[in-house]
Amino acid sequence: MAANIDNDVLDAEIVTVSSGEGIRTEADFDEITERITAALNEDEAEADPMAAMSPVFRELALPKLPVLKRENRARLQMQTPNRLYFYWSLKNNPYQILHRVFGENTGSYTLILKLINTTRDREELHVIDAEGNWWFSVEPDSTYRAEIGFYAPNRPYFRALYSNEITTPRKSPSPRVATEADWSIPAEKFAAVLDVAGFKQDAFDVAIAGDDADGARTASYAAFARLVDRPAAEFEGFDADDIRYALTLLAGGATLEDLRFHVSERLFAVLQSAIDRITRENAIAALKSEFEINDEHLIEEYEEIGPAVFGSSLVNFPKRMVKRSRDLNKINPLSSLR
Amino acid sequence: MPIGYFSLILHAHLPFVRHPEYPEFLEEDWLYEAITEVYLPLIFIFQTLHEAGAKPRLAMNVSPPLCEMLADPLLQERYTRHIENLLELAKKELHRVRQEDPDFTDAAQMYVDNLSASLGLWNDRYKRNLINAFRELQDEGVIEIITCCATHGFMPLISTPEARRAQVAIAVTNYKKHFGRQPRGIWLAECAYEPGIEDLLKEYGIEYFISDTHAILYGDPRPRYGVHAPVICPNGVATFARDVETSQQVWSAEIGYPGNDLYREFYRDIGFDAPFEYLEPHLHADGNRRHLGLKYHRITGKTVPQNKKGAYIPSLAREKAAENAMHFIGERIKQAYLLRETFEGHPPLVVSPYDAELFGHWWFEGPQFIDFFFKKLHWDQSEIKAVTPGDFLDSGINIQRQQPTASSWGEAGYYKVWINEGNSWMYPYQHDAERRMTELADRFAVQRPESQVQSPEDPGHWTSDIGLVTRILNQAARELLLAQSSDWAFQIYQGTTVEYSSRRFQSHIHRFDLLAKMLENSSPPYEGGVAASASSAEADRVVLSPDQLELLTELESRDNIFPEIDYRVYQSTNSFTN
Repeated sequence: MAANIDNDVLDAEIVTVSSGEGIRTEADFDEITERITAALNEDEAEADPMAAMSPVFRELALPKLPVLKRENRARLQMQTPNRLYFYWSLKNNPYQILHRVFGENTGSYTLILKLINTTRDREELHVIDAEGNWWFSVEPDSTYRAEIGFYAPNRPYFRALYSNEITTPRKSPSPRVATEADWSIPAEKFAAVLDVAGFKQDAFDVAIAGDDADGARTASYAAFARLVDRPAAEFEGFDADDIRYALTLLAGGATLEDLRFHVSERLFAVLQSAIDRITRENAIAALKSEFEINDEHLIEEYEEIGPAVFGSSLVNFPKRMVKRSRDLNKINPLSSLR
Repeated sequence: MPIGYFSLILHAHLPFVRHPEYPEFLEEDWLYEAITEVYLPLIFIFQTLHEAGAKPRLAMNVSPPLCEMLADPLLQERYTRHIENLLELAKKELHRVRQEDPDFTDAAQMYVDNLSASLGLWNDRYKRNLINAFRELQDEGVIEIITCCATHGFMPLISTPEARRAQVAIAVTNYKKHFGRQPRGIWLAECAYEPGIEDLLKEYGIEYFISDTHAILYGDPRPRYGVHAPVICPNGVATFARDVETSQQVWSAEIGYPGNDLYREFYRDIGFDAPFEYLEPHLHADGNRRHLGLKYHRITGKTVPQNKKGAYIPSLAREKAAENAMHFIGERIKQAYLLRETFEGHPPLVVSPYDAELFGHWWFEGPQFIDFFFKKLHWDQSEIKAVTPGDFLDSGINIQRQQPTASSWGEAGYYKVWINEGNSWMYPYQHDAERRMTELADRFAVQRPESQVQSPEDPGHWTSDIGLVTRILNQAARELLLAQSSDWAFQIYQGTTVEYSSRRFQSHIHRFDLLAKMLENSSPPYEGGVAASASSAEADRVVLSPDQLELLTELESRDNIFPEIDYRVYQSTNSFTN
């Protein structure tokens, strides 16, 4: 039954392929089968647009990324002031290197990635493979270098490879005022300049920090300590601008989640550890305890204009407040008035 | 003396999209649409304003890839066919809508009028080369044309100083070729800046660059006049930064002018609305529907579904564009008074940069808005003066010295659009090619080894070709430059044309690799070839198989950007200077 069906199918194909020739003998059958095979192959050739191409055109029609040669690579790139990207590879097997250097006595050495904040003299370590990539949460206004090396507890660390250096930018106005008379500007006036530029958040921050940088730093630590209910001394290694940035965002109605990736990872971790205390009211109370601000300065709501624009780009627009009073006078840190 | 200054800056850029290997190519339409909707209307408006005595001073970046495409005979020929086809369809449409959809008659008539005028300008006035038109406008003092990174490379994500330098050096050379003079300013691709880039700009005679707002606002020391005055970097190069208020007013998808209900709806297009059989003669041979640029609906309302949009009435949209231009000027005057008061009498400068393609492509009425804006600015007020950044530098107004900070104009203000979890895979390949390019440029900088090509008929016979190494290196440089276009990473992040952008990046890296291997110690990629070998003493000759020569020739034909390129710009020594 199955054979009959096959022959029926073949009969139909023969008529098509052979322009009406009939099957008379077994030789005819074989010949036609052969021609069908050839025709099928011809069809395949036509369906494949690359079949007729020269080797060069085939090569170009199928672009492929080359296999990267095994080499020593250690490249650090900035994504944002709070995030770095790092990729690396080693030319030779790291464990063979270890054996070559230490013989059998490799102990507990392992290959690690070290990120060093050379500005604040901090580092973090991660166990890694011979090649890969890593995203780091970092702090603004710091210089970083990544290293690949061999690490073992209680034994010397050996650096095998190091990266380029990256300096993350400030993500707030500079605390430094020009020394030339033409360009020198007090905090109160600079806050107004930022305000008319649309950088309301920074205007507010500059206004509350005032011209007393030390006083503003101390007040920031104290306000933050009050918010998270921990001693201010614990935060002296933190960036005061980052702290005030977090406090003013929270006081303006931002949630803790809004701050993720916008403040340093360790500041975020402290806030997370005190999550029950992170409310707008507490942030306002913390700020008011250390800075001479009143409710009038804090009634605004944030109005964020999204990055979407007409066309294909996404453009950076700063957060802004609605109902912002331009009166940013006299909201210096209380400590500077004491 | 005006109350304040205003500087409009238009950034005209498209990635290098040229596919001679196909008779038609969808992505080439990006260029054709921009010529019809943006560049021709803007050129015509600027010229007309100038002739009427209302010279519109503004800066315009015409990026090097765009310059190269506009000057390319193949693309000029293809564009001519494109606009002729569109005009034929528009005429057919005018006849059809008069019978079937009289509500659309005004719009259909507008397309026939506009396209007829555009075709006339293209063929007769500008002789199919818009570079000449831009150059003429600059020479007549109407616009100040600035350059851009050679292939819109995102400078902070380029790994070697040589590859960064090449983006600037090649751009300046290309600018001189097209515009016959040294550029005063540069548009750093995506306004991406990090401290130190200004040193390269100075090396190549660039006086200023455009940056994002916080480059200056967060710069050191504090800027006395915020973003409303340029600053001069410690090395003497100036930067002008973007004003946020004007940016949002014109561009924001939430609050910007282009969202007005009377303006033309971008997403309803006859290419998707008309019956296939009717459209077929006007589509590409693949028969795929696509935006054709004939759109008959107005926005009507942001929440109105596409199938409920009302008819587009050109006269009402034009009135709205005039009204928006008046409003914009009114706001600028108010802004100038407020800034001047804040600055205690110092005249402010508002710098307003936009993608040029916003005006006409995304915002159809954008060129009319610019036309009305400059007319009113010239005749109806004296508080605001339009200037270019170059004019401002020449004005003698004192400028503060400051070190700007790293920044870009992309989402969130830094680099995340161009380096993130979705596109970071690109950088090891790009950086590897950058390093190899300099290694090759160094190796072949002084001594050009004898180069030979194997005869296809007689594999034992070799023909000398003294220019072969130079050709390989120049083409490798072109492929690297094309791979560096920030457009690919951007579009992968955006989720638009991801396949095309990934493929373009892969293609250029692949092509670079094939070319580099012709000169590096490697196995021949094709049968019958002899390995290219050219290292030190062992290799005083470079040999190519016929296939390799064919490959080189084919790549030169396809990726023909910058015929004037000199690969020695990638040398690591300082022997290559401008």
